[in-house]
Amino acid sequence: MTDAISIKRISKKFGQVQALSDLSLNVPSHSIFGLLGPNGAGKTTLFSIAADFLKPDAGNIEVLGIDTRDISRLRGRLSILPQDARFQNNVPILEQFIFFRLLAGSTKSQAREEVLKTFESVGLQSVIKNRVGSLSHGMIKRLGIAQAFLGNPEVILLDEPTAGLDPANARQIRDLIKRLQERTTIVVSSHNMAEIQELCDHVAILDHGRLMLAGSVEEITLAHREYNLTLSRALTDSEEKCLTALEGVREIKMLSQRTIIQNNGSTEYTFKLDLSDHNVNQDKVISTLLHNLLDMGVTLRGFTEGRNLEKQFLEVTDEFKEKGIK
Amino acid sequence: METLSASHIRIIAYYWSRYIVRSGSGLAYLMIALIFGLFSAQILIMPVEKFIQQKQDVSESNLQNIRYSIINIEKPIVQYVLGVKSFKEVGQDLPNDLMNTMISKPVAEDSMGFDRWTSFLLVKRPALLSAIFLILFFGMPFVVTYLAFNQLSGDVQSRGLRYLLLKTERGNIYFGRFLGTIVFSTLVTALIIAVITFYLAMKLRIYPAMSLIGWSLHGFMALSLLMLPYIALCAMISASIDSPMLSFVVANLIIPGVLITAAIGRIAWAPLKYINYLLPWGWQNHLLHPSPIHLLMALLGCLVYTAIFLMPGYYIFEKRDL
Repeated sequence: MTDAISIKRISKKFGQVQALSDLSLNVPSHSIFGLLGPNGAGKTTLFSIAADFLKPDAGNIEVLGIDTRDISRLRGRLSILPQDARFQNNVPILEQFIFFRLLAGSTKSQAREEVLKTFESVGLQSVIKNRVGSLSHGMIKRLGIAQAFLGNPEVILLDEPTAGLDPANARQIRDLIKRLQERTTIVVSSHNMAEIQELCDHVAILDHGRLMLAGSVEEITLAHREYNLTLSRALTDSEEKCLTALEGVREIKMLSQRTIIQNNGSTEYTFKLDLSDHNVNQDKVISTLLHNLLDMGVTLRGFTEGRNLEKQFLEVTDEFKEKGIK
Repeated sequence: METLSASHIRIIAYYWSRYIVRSGSGLAYLMIALIFGLFSAQILIMPVEKFIQQKQDVSESNLQNIRYSIINIEKPIVQYVLGVKSFKEVGQDLPNDLMNTMISKPVAEDSMGFDRWTSFLLVKRPALLSAIFLILFFGMPFVVTYLAFNQLSGDVQSRGLRYLLLKTERGNIYFGRFLGTIVFSTLVTALIIAVITFYLAMKLRIYPAMSLIGWSLHGFMALSLLMLPYIALCAMISASIDSPMLSFVVANLIIPGVLITAAIGRIAWAPLKYINYLLPWGWQNHLLHPSPIHLLMALLGCLVYTAIFLMPGYYIFEKRDL
């Protein structure tokens, strides 16, 4: 898999604030790449440099093998949904989009056709004659996404595409992004771990302008995979020790113990697995774990996959804070 | 620097000029320019109109007398505006009672002591229209800031430009919007001058229609050209400042500031009058000069000043974070 985006030692400072610090990262082609980070981590700055809105203090970014300082060569191949950009309020939506396509070299009738097709794909046919001012936040967000998808670019940067949207709208946008994955490389920034874990095949975590972690979602979560098990009773210390000694089990932690009588004291545990050793098979570890629990006379009442990425995110960002890196 | 695209500049200019009227700045300019242009004309035309209404006899000889009366009244003011005479000299030449002068003292051209430029504007060309042009030359540079201050800064602030930046070059946006602003400004100038000329030709009827049309075409082209450096100055300010309000304030400090500084400064030290040359104030009236050399120099001046203001703005816009 070749890289669609190659970020090389990018640094950017706004006054005294170091927004990005010597950051390097590669985004594989045809992947949906998630960019995670707390507020001020540098996600939007990174997107803005990739789209040449901002000039880096050092380093460079290559998109499809072209340095973004020569952004004109990426015209039509790279597009972006900027986080806080506004459309023109005084121009009808359809006219704005036709204008975008005219700049791409389409004739007026072609432009109209292309725009209508894109609007159909994002479910915005009904608003084409409206003005931006009359649209809801969700509609405007979809309009921004439609703008990013217009003209079938090869790389799309989506800066918090579902921020501020209700669950139904957010779901529609996620489905739309998934549909487009086959032909496009998409980079999505978000605060929503579950969304990134569901949507993306690769992920990078930024904090304070530094890259904390990067890789495929599978790789990252495999090393620290965890499952929430609801058991019929609480485990004794010796049982916990016995289970922790199993190959592939890193830690067992009690999450909550229900004391309601009818629940018969069922207790929720988090089992953290360590599958970084490729010889250790996840299914085998789970199977052994369940056998051992049954042997101990404990019944399994619930089994869910834990929010691995979120844990990872909190771990790496907390680690950063603890180290006090500035 | 990027390669500019003529087709992109044309498309951007077309859309910008088409939709600018719906933006606050376009509408404000349209209203203020129309009010200023037509009100200025009204101030000059009204006394003449009143006088004609009083006169029953509108024979050719009487019309000639009216034309001479207008020349007589306007001459000292025009000479002061053109810099031919000082304020003190003009004060001595001004008739005591303008209305009375118009009615009773028609003066022959040869007895008026004209310089060549004043004679060209007031005698050889329709004097009333010349005077209106001089007022427009003075006032329109202020008025045009209402249109031109927000060529870029508003969209930089709202980040609206970010939707455009991956679709065309920054230079195309800069020059396209500059061109679109010029197109809109030129259309409004044409409208003002057309209304005034039409009124003078059809209602007042003291000048031959052909003479009015020829001179108004010259005035229209001169005024349109004169707007170029001022719009370019606003483009530079707008490309450098994020806030449209601040961009407006800076443009409105610089344009009159140069004029006022030169006017006050020359009282203390005469050479300070050359501060006027930082903007076209110092030579812009030469666009109405009878000498082709003066006219050509003024025309070149407009183009050179436009380039001087436009290029740093382009450079700044090209390099800055958006």
